[in-house]
Amino acid sequence: MNVKDHSSADEAALVRAAREGDMAAFEELVARNRDRVYARAYSMMRNEDEALDLSQEAWVKGWQRLKQFQGDSTFGTWITRIVINLCLDELRRQKRHRAESIEAIAEDSGGVERQMPVVTVNPTLGLEREELRKRISDALGKLSYEHRTVLVLHEFEEMEYKQIAKTMGCSIGTVMSRLFYARRKLAALLADLKKQDLT
Amino acid sequence: MELEAQLKLQAYLDGELPEAEAREMADKLAREAGSAALAAELRQTRALLEGFEEGIRLPESREFFWSKIERDIRLSEKSAASSPALPWAALLRRFLAPAMGLALVAIAGFVLARHGPTLERPGSAVIETALADPGAFTYRDDNSGTTLVWLSYPAENELADAGESADVE
Repeated sequence: MNVKDHSSADEAALVRAAREGDMAAFEELVARNRDRVYARAYSMMRNEDEALDLSQEAWVKGWQRLKQFQGDSTFGTWITRIVINLCLDELRRQKRHRAESIEAIAEDSGGVERQMPVVTVNPTLGLEREELRKRISDALGKLSYEHRTVLVLHEFEEMEYKQIAKTMGCSIGTVMSRLFYARRKLAALLADLKKQDLT
Repeated sequence: MELEAQLKLQAYLDGELPEAEAREMADKLAREAGSAALAAELRQTRALLEGFEEGIRLPESREFFWSKIERDIRLSEKSAASSPALPWAALLRRFLAPAMGLALVAIAGFVLARHGPTLERPGSAVIETALADPGAFTYRDDNSGTTLVWLSYPAENELADAGESADVE
């Protein structure tokens, strides 16, 4: 069988070919965007296996819904939104299966971090980029899924408050307080780690 | 600082405030050390997250990851191809069942017209229609002590099935 080489094709051509059933073209789209989709799933889920499963599911759904892709955004943005929605569904499903902790209830109303003193974190001091990445990753893992998701959608997906509220099914006020809490807690966690690192 | 003021400060840093309010907030930041310190912390946290996802790599080879996606796509296409309801079966259920009912009513009407409201004879079988439900028929045979009731119209769930199948088409 003669398989066309798609490695030099542009994104629009790949999408057109994939829509016509060319799986090799779709494979090229997967190869170009797979890290991005996985990274978003990992940021939200904090679990490698779940992130792998959900990013794989996103690609299957992407193939099935290719005709719905209008080209209003880049293909990468479109497929990333699919994985975000899958992650949100999974996180909501998981939340239904575990009891809310008292801490999580406090988080929604701001928690103690809202009133804590301002902290200073200097990322260039003493920490290598890779080490810093790991510490940020650990700190993100300590946030509740609602706070982490708002942070991920704002900082990585660059969504506005209104878009986040729509995606998460909550009010803009809730988005603002969750984002504020998440940032303050992250700063506190990283400042604390920094102190430990220096002692 | 009140929560509302803190959230407004954050909205300013995120570019979510209208122009007039943004100017007011800029003035406030220049005047108030506490607000300026909080703004610095929020900016720093944001800076820390920049490029964070760029270092995350999918922990499987291109070929292996694709092989799993391809397998799932083919499986889903295979199951989609083998599951659609047959349209002719739905049509059959929708139209043939009422037609049979009508035919039975016509036969019963013909028999009743020729032989009166009942055709009971000693020791013979009787066919009756219930006035309250013209689609229901009763067959009674005194000799064998048998009574059968049958309905000439399709059951509700059959109609619902037929409707769904037609919608899919």
